[in-house]
Amino acid sequence: MKAYLAYIKSTLLLTTRDRLVVFFNFLFPLIFFVAFGEGFGARTSTGAMSQVLTMVLVIGVLGSGFFGAGMRATVERESGILRRFKVAPITPAPIVTAGLVTGWVLFLPTVIFFILIAKLRYGMPFPEHIISLLLMVSAGVLAFRSLGAIIASVVNSMAESQIIIQLMYLPMLMLSGATVPLNIMPDWLQIVAQFLPSTHLYLGMQGILVRNESLAQNLTSVGSLVLTAIIGTVLSVKLFRWEKEDKFRPSAKFWVLGVLAPFIVMGVWQSQTRSNLKKTEILAREMRRTQNWLIRDARIFVGDGRVLESSSILVRNGKIVEIFEGKSPEAKTLNAEAVDASGKTVMPGLIDSGVQLMLPGTGTPDMRQDRLVKAMERELAAYLYCGVTAVRSAPDPLGLAPGIQARLTSGELLGAELSLGTVPTTPSLVAGELAAGRTDILKDTLLQQVVRPQSMEILRRMAQNRTPNPDAKLPAPSFPLPPSSLSGLPLLPHGPALHRELKLWVTSGISTKDALQAATFTAAKAIGASGRLGLVQPGYEATLLIVEGNPLEDISATERVWFVLFKGEHVRREDLFENYDKAKDK
Amino acid sequence: MSTQPAIRVTGLHKSYGDFEAVRGIDFEVAQGEVFGLLGPNGAGKTTTVEILEGLRSRTSGQVSVLGYDPANDTMAVKDRIGVSLQATNLPEKMKVLEAAELFAAFYSRATDITSLLKRLQLWEKRGAFYSTLSGGQKQRLALALAMINEPQVVFLDEPTTGLDPQVRLEIHSLIEELRDQKRTILLTTHYIEEAERLCHRVAIVDEGKVIAIGTPRELQQKILGHSRVEICTLSPMPPDLPRDWPAEFPIHFSDDRKKLTVPAPKPARAVVDLVKWLDAAGAELDDLHIKRPTLEDVFIELTGKSLRD
Repeated sequence: MKAYLAYIKSTLLLTTRDRLVVFFNFLFPLIFFVAFGEGFGARTSTGAMSQVLTMVLVIGVLGSGFFGAGMRATVERESGILRRFKVAPITPAPIVTAGLVTGWVLFLPTVIFFILIAKLRYGMPFPEHIISLLLMVSAGVLAFRSLGAIIASVVNSMAESQIIIQLMYLPMLMLSGATVPLNIMPDWLQIVAQFLPSTHLYLGMQGILVRNESLAQNLTSVGSLVLTAIIGTVLSVKLFRWEKEDKFRPSAKFWVLGVLAPFIVMGVWQSQTRSNLKKTEILAREMRRTQNWLIRDARIFVGDGRVLESSSILVRNGKIVEIFEGKSPEAKTLNAEAVDASGKTVMPGLIDSGVQLMLPGTGTPDMRQDRLVKAMERELAAYLYCGVTAVRSAPDPLGLAPGIQARLTSGELLGAELSLGTVPTTPSLVAGELAAGRTDILKDTLLQQVVRPQSMEILRRMAQNRTPNPDAKLPAPSFPLPPSSLSGLPLLPHGPALHRELKLWVTSGISTKDALQAATFTAAKAIGASGRLGLVQPGYEATLLIVEGNPLEDISATERVWFVLFKGEHVRREDLFENYDKAKDK
Repeated sequence: MSTQPAIRVTGLHKSYGDFEAVRGIDFEVAQGEVFGLLGPNGAGKTTTVEILEGLRSRTSGQVSVLGYDPANDTMAVKDRIGVSLQATNLPEKMKVLEAAELFAAFYSRATDITSLLKRLQLWEKRGAFYSTLSGGQKQRLALALAMINEPQVVFLDEPTTGLDPQVRLEIHSLIEELRDQKRTILLTTHYIEEAERLCHRVAIVDEGKVIAIGTPRELQQKILGHSRVEICTLSPMPPDLPRDWPAEFPIHFSDDRKKLTVPAPKPARAVVDLVKWLDAAGAELDDLHIKRPTLEDVFIELTGKSLRD
């Protein structure tokens, strides 16, 4: 025991006197910190800052393990220092232990240092589960230092150690998400990454820092790291070499791979479940939703009838935080990304209170479920494209909708918020219009953007078969009940139908103000989301639609969708159909 | 005090693949004895010592250090011995006192570090980094570390190689102190004066074998037993020999007859006779010395090689 404490003390003293250690522990990660901070826009997004912090800490752990532990022991062996220790009655255990303890003790201040900088300079809030974070980091440091110790034991020269270290360090640096975000890598590469211990360190830390999860929710990550640390420590004691002359059989070097065994298991498991890939996608989405926005100089239709001219909206972390009437403050001072909405109108996201994602009869149990699910997903994406941010749908006959709902809630899937329930049987005006044989809806520009060319063909042919009935009267609008387009019925595509419904409402005599209020504020109450959706007001969710022009004067302005903010995320409308339209149509 | 030898080596062999570094070495070191292994570089001295210290495995033979076999009871041996390696290297930024404290923590028994460092004149340098120490200071530190556990047996491998003469003398007097403390010391060296001055007994080692073993005096006497007288003159010496000069002690003259060498069991008597003879012939004396046989001579006699190759 004496020997352990003495060796730890000695190694701590020597390491703090080593300038290279200071560089690798502090300066090197700091360079990345500043570069990533600016590059990822950490100033205007707390999620981005947490992401940057995760990346920098993983880089630090890798450096400490490979270069700190990896090279030190090799240097000491090469210069004959360890030989002198071999003479004394000690086993390799105190030496290996001291390397681990020192690495750990000296890395913790780095963690605190970066958390403080993140807080002071970028306004990142203090991590909720700080203990979990420190434990996860500790597991990482111990795992990688033991890996470094093994490398140091098995290499035969400094030159060899350099090669092996770089061979392991660089892929781990590049593929774990620490430098290149995981979610921009193709799926197969992400699977490869699941075989690397550094990826699991990264995912675990990201869970704690970005999603505010606790250690308990990241047990596989920390568990595999702890397992590696234990196996690694035992192996590095077993394989320890005091002198250059104690050479290994080349086959012994493969012991290093034994240490990585937990991760081979993890990789194989992940290639089956892909759970981490989903997690990554969800994390990326959550980060985008933490972006701060300042929507400036817009006309605001609050939702309950009020209209604010030339005002600005501050969004933080997915919520509307403040509304500034009159001159807008500078976005920079608020650490927000500016959106210049002058000449445009902001309103709460539109809500369609009655649709049918899948008509009874269109899906039979013998059909491929994944195709049916994909079809419904596309419909929900189409709604979002059109600025309809929530829908109430009748449940589908096969019961696939709740699964989709769960994935929408988690953020794995991007699409209009889905509420399942009974849908009015009273016909919508747009349905009535179609029943009367009038197919003007097909001329709407929004519809043409949303419907696939192939489907457009089908719609035109169906339209041709309709014979107009000039005597048919349109039904009355459901006002004051919220509008339901009954999309899903033939020739009623999901998304643009609601806009047509509003147009027809206005033609029937409803004021634009009342129509818009029904489709936002009232509809929100109907789906049970009052207090959260339906108003542009501080405290409400940042789910907004910005259109060009003024729908209060001309209701068709709702079709000119300019910007959709969904739970704080700027929806890239042009990318919405990427996953669906690439596949060949059957 | 028991009469068991502190160190016993029987039939020691060590091969590295085809190369036999040690080909059968036997010797014993009594408790309290200073024993030297004298031989040229590559003789197998360091290999032998490292086997005794538990640093190296042996190919065959029996070894006992303080009753323990270093191969089987490695920790027991290491705890009781002190070692100064041929080349000691410590971390650059380690301070002298830190080194002493670190090593002291490895053993079950440790001496008082302060007085040890003072005795070795390292106390003033206790806060100095290892890399700033001079060669002599580093060697003194190596000695200090060898003593840190108050060892019963101390192994000193080439303790003064590469050091200045003054420093060498310093180290010698330190070793003499150890000898006075009645510690068992096994010393390897290729310096004859060192072996002659410090050791009770010496084993001459060459090419992995012990070729002679005994006290320095015994060795000298056993092999040659004779001193030599050497005289140099400025002008050539007389062509004849001194009167009644015994034939069994042939005088060897250099070609220019200005130098003579002669074996002489009674060197003082021979000097007087020779000087009288030269003086009578009018030759001017330039230089005169009596050379006692050294271990170098022993070595050359036994192996045909010089020690200082």
